[in-house]
Amino acid sequence: MTQFIFKRLLSGVITIWFIATATFVAMHAVPGDPLANDKAVAPEIRRNLEARYGLDKPVLQQYGIFLSNMLHGDFGISFTQKNRHVNDIIREHFPVSAVLGVLALIIATVGGVVWGALTAVYRDRWPDSVIMFLVVIAVSVPSFVFAMLGQLGILAMNEWLGFSLLPVAGWGSFGHMLVPALVLGLGTMAYLTRLMRSSMLEVTSADYIRTARAKGVSPLRIFFKHQLRNAILPVVTVLGPSIAAITTGGFVVELVFAIPGLGRFFVQAVQQLDYTVIMGTTVFYGAFLVFMVLLVDILYGFIDPRIRVGQVRG
Amino acid sequence: MNEEQGETMTAANTPRERAQLEPGLPALEVNNLQVEFAAQGGRVQAVRGVSLSVQSGETLGIVGESGCGKSVTMMSMLGLIPMPPGRIVGGSAKLNGRELLGLSVAQLNKIRGVDIGMVFQDPMSALNPTMRIGEQIAETLMIHRGMSQREALQRAVALLDRTKIPEARQRARQYPFEFSGGMLQRAMIAMSLACSPSVLVADEPTTALDVTIQNQVLELMREIQREEGMAIVLITHDLGVVARMADQVAVMYAGQIVERGTVEDIFYRSAHPYTLGLKAAMPDAHVHVNEKLTAIPGSPPDLFAPPEGCGYCSRCDYAMQVCDKHLPDLMAVSRGHVSRCWLQHPEAGVEVEGLYQPAAKGSPSC
Amino acid sequence: MTLTQTLTADDFAPLAKAQHPDQIVRPSLSYWQDAWRRLQRNRRAMWSLYLIAALLLFSYVLPFVVPFDAVGQDLTQISQAPSLEKKSLVVDTQPWPGQQVRPAELARLQSAPFDPATRVTGLTLVGEANTESVRLAWQPVAGAKAYQVYRHLLVPSGATDLGLPLGQTEQPEQVSYEDRLKLQNMPYYYSVRAVADTGEVSDYATVKATPRLAISVRAALSRGLITADQTDSMIGREVELQRHLMGTDYLGRDLLARLVYGGQTSLFIGIVAPLLFVAMGIVYGGLSGYLGGRTDEVMMRFADFVIALPFLLFMILFRVAMGIGPGESGVTPMLIAMVLLGWPTAAKLVRGQVLQLREQPFVEAAQLMGANSRYLILRHMLPNVMGVVLVSLTFSIPSAIFTEAFLSFIGMGVAPPTPSWGAMCNDGVKSFMSHPHELLFPALFISLTVLAFNLLGDGLRDALDAKMKG
Repeated sequence: MTQFIFKRLLSGVITIWFIATATFVAMHAVPGDPLANDKAVAPEIRRNLEARYGLDKPVLQQYGIFLSNMLHGDFGISFTQKNRHVNDIIREHFPVSAVLGVLALIIATVGGVVWGALTAVYRDRWPDSVIMFLVVIAVSVPSFVFAMLGQLGILAMNEWLGFSLLPVAGWGSFGHMLVPALVLGLGTMAYLTRLMRSSMLEVTSADYIRTARAKGVSPLRIFFKHQLRNAILPVVTVLGPSIAAITTGGFVVELVFAIPGLGRFFVQAVQQLDYTVIMGTTVFYGAFLVFMVLLVDILYGFIDPRIRVGQVRG
Repeated sequence: MNEEQGETMTAANTPRERAQLEPGLPALEVNNLQVEFAAQGGRVQAVRGVSLSVQSGETLGIVGESGCGKSVTMMSMLGLIPMPPGRIVGGSAKLNGRELLGLSVAQLNKIRGVDIGMVFQDPMSALNPTMRIGEQIAETLMIHRGMSQREALQRAVALLDRTKIPEARQRARQYPFEFSGGMLQRAMIAMSLACSPSVLVADEPTTALDVTIQNQVLELMREIQREEGMAIVLITHDLGVVARMADQVAVMYAGQIVERGTVEDIFYRSAHPYTLGLKAAMPDAHVHVNEKLTAIPGSPPDLFAPPEGCGYCSRCDYAMQVCDKHLPDLMAVSRGHVSRCWLQHPEAGVEVEGLYQPAAKGSPSC
Repeated sequence: MTLTQTLTADDFAPLAKAQHPDQIVRPSLSYWQDAWRRLQRNRRAMWSLYLIAALLLFSYVLPFVVPFDAVGQDLTQISQAPSLEKKSLVVDTQPWPGQQVRPAELARLQSAPFDPATRVTGLTLVGEANTESVRLAWQPVAGAKAYQVYRHLLVPSGATDLGLPLGQTEQPEQVSYEDRLKLQNMPYYYSVRAVADTGEVSDYATVKATPRLAISVRAALSRGLITADQTDSMIGREVELQRHLMGTDYLGRDLLARLVYGGQTSLFIGIVAPLLFVAMGIVYGGLSGYLGGRTDEVMMRFADFVIALPFLLFMILFRVAMGIGPGESGVTPMLIAMVLLGWPTAAKLVRGQVLQLREQPFVEAAQLMGANSRYLILRHMLPNVMGVVLVSLTFSIPSAIFTEAFLSFIGMGVAPPTPSWGAMCNDGVKSFMSHPHELLFPALFISLTVLAFNLLGDGLRDALDAKMKG
């Protein structure tokens, strides 16, 4: 197990390096001047700016500086908010995104497992049809539409109630999080429901379920002790990609609900072509996702004995 | 066995002791069992009136090719086939005199794993991959014997030890993927024996194993049978296994029993052309290497619409006019030996080489 | 047993063997024929296929049959809801001189003291209110220097509710006001109050006006609704406006036309990008799997790294890095970015298949018989890989369409005025609360396309029996 974790850690570090390099290459290999969109700048100011952002040095040296800065966790200074350090921006806005994301992930996973198990139990009967119909809709409608509809829903509800039960936008209380997290988790929940359903169906017809029945195990115990545990394994393996989906999905939700998260800030930085913020946030997000995938891998290792008990075979 | 648990159980603890309470009562008796599966546009008659019985301490071998209904016969009476589409149409199945058919799931769960144990074909897929071997054995004991987890795990280790798994204590803590196929099948047997059942149903227990391991597993089953005196129903398509293990043999074809008798009857006095065919198809160590295996030509009839006459008719070398139109009954060939073949009819008058036809022999041939 | 009695010797005569028992009568079908037959039996997949065909016709063939104008702005019809036909009054838009108080009267009024408690009287509409102009007139107030005009959507509850005025009259003798500011066909409440030199204000009066849909003569002429010689005769008459079946957007552009042309962009990106990266994946993965060994290992390591890049983040990054020059639509940068990031999934899939196939007996047999690599790849590898690739391609299309929509939604997609369904959603969000159709129509098209490709993908997977991971 330790060896397994060590190997994963190593490949994680290399992946982060690759992400950082790809980010650097993308921003430097293409002709285009980061300062070009600043209106006519006087030459000396321009030189000052270039010196400040290190743009006057040769590319390789810039790369070296970039890597060493990244290694130290230093993402530089914002282009548009001249006195703000990218690190501060991340430190300030990321926790908001993280809280929202974790809530969405919990909603998506719990929902996916419960709905998926339900559809498998009621296979080909009406609960199955209804849930799978909703799932098809949920995976076909773009997330921003759900975000807008969610907002409209809050408005309509508040109007009907005659008082403001949930805030329409902003951040602060649990009420602010509820609908955005639901909207954010919806697509992933639908995906996990599908996965859980097919996984449950596969497990249901597995030989060891028949064995358990032949042993005289009650249906309820079979469901919880034998089926659910084996059926959840595939769901755990896709948690990594799900976290990535929720992270990027957060951009839209934060935008629509005016949530001061890193995603909204990133989109703003992109629209304002704030290069340091874009690069810093990309590398940060990349590292974060690699770390999450790593975490999920290790978690999976703990759940699936075939990996935990040091791969004897295969 | 622990004495203090005697109250929750019958006074007799081993199948042998139980059998002695009511001598002569078969451990398992199946009568005219019929099973159907609903399929698109009709029903598949998978089991068409099977009757068999097995006494304590005895082994009944059920042979036949795949799809002949040998597994379904056993699975259906224990409620182990999916229902629907499966459905038991009629017949009876008595375990120690108690009717199994029509019992609720809860009632069946008090019998499955207690009075009747099962061993399946592929132990790798028949055991839960995410549960420790010991836990899986202990589960039976905890459910049926009300043991605590500790107690049950201890007993599981003893059972593993009993099935000759070395270092049982450590092995009990391992997962199925850490076991070899043979070891897994031993564990599976240990699991099915946990509550000392009267009947052990072994469905192709050695098919997935290689030959040397096969022998060990079969030997183990025999040994435990000698000690405990349970009845074994051995489902297999391997005549060699049957020859080694069985006392009684039932040959199944197209959802019916075509011949039934003692192991000697079946092998030395085969009374059905299908049995002859099976025997001919058996690989023989004495023949030359480059000799081709004899196969029975054709395939079994479609049980979606079973033929009017004998199911084997189209593949039988000795088919007669009557075979095509009328389904033969099981006809007594000798005491305890029956065959479902018109050739055994006193008026058939056709002699077939290698076929045991005491009735036909007596009658004049034209 | 009754049967026994009826049996005769004939019954025991040997049965002639009629046929070989093994004969199987069934037409042989090729892999693809069989798959197609199975797909045809899948109702959902077939409906999806028809839907996809319909969407392609809608976007690529319809513009040849019906001319659409996706960029022209119909400023008389901004954010119109979908409708079949709309009639509009043609009006002359000469400035209105308004109503003035006669000088003698004015002098009398100006000499009188201003009383804040007085209320403006006689507030009325002059002529019929229409969306080109609403004309108000009222009685002068003693001591007033000017008058303030307010416009509200609801009746103001009091003086404090008035807020900022819509306008103010410039001369004290002016007792009328013409509102020509972005009027729409809905009720307005106009309030007027007088202002004194001292800045004191009088009480206000309110009148309701529901402007009728109108179009100026000049606008009607330029849109071709009337001819030049009709300019005088048509004033005061109704003319039929351009039809906008699905309404217009916030710039008065025809939504149907934009949906048609937006579909061209979205479907192009959605279909071509996956085609390109799947093709690249076939080459890369096929080569990797075919070469095997160390090369394979290195190539796959690289593919793993590219997969680890967060897809949408790097789409944004590439898009920012490549930029969009003036007059460019931004479709090409998006395509390039998608291909750069999308190929590894297909490559890994193809490689896995190739590795599996290489071990297959029929490939070994072909090798033994002296088949060269070209033959092996074309005859044995490719046809067997195609099934899995086709399924993967079908599932890639919805995600590509979503990616386009997502990027356009955050303003990083195609550049305006190029329409795309995603960009239209981005536009529609701004007016979602008042005119939801501007978001819902393009969103509906995105959803239908994604739904159709997803269902088709499910059907294809079942039909081709392609076992895919994930």
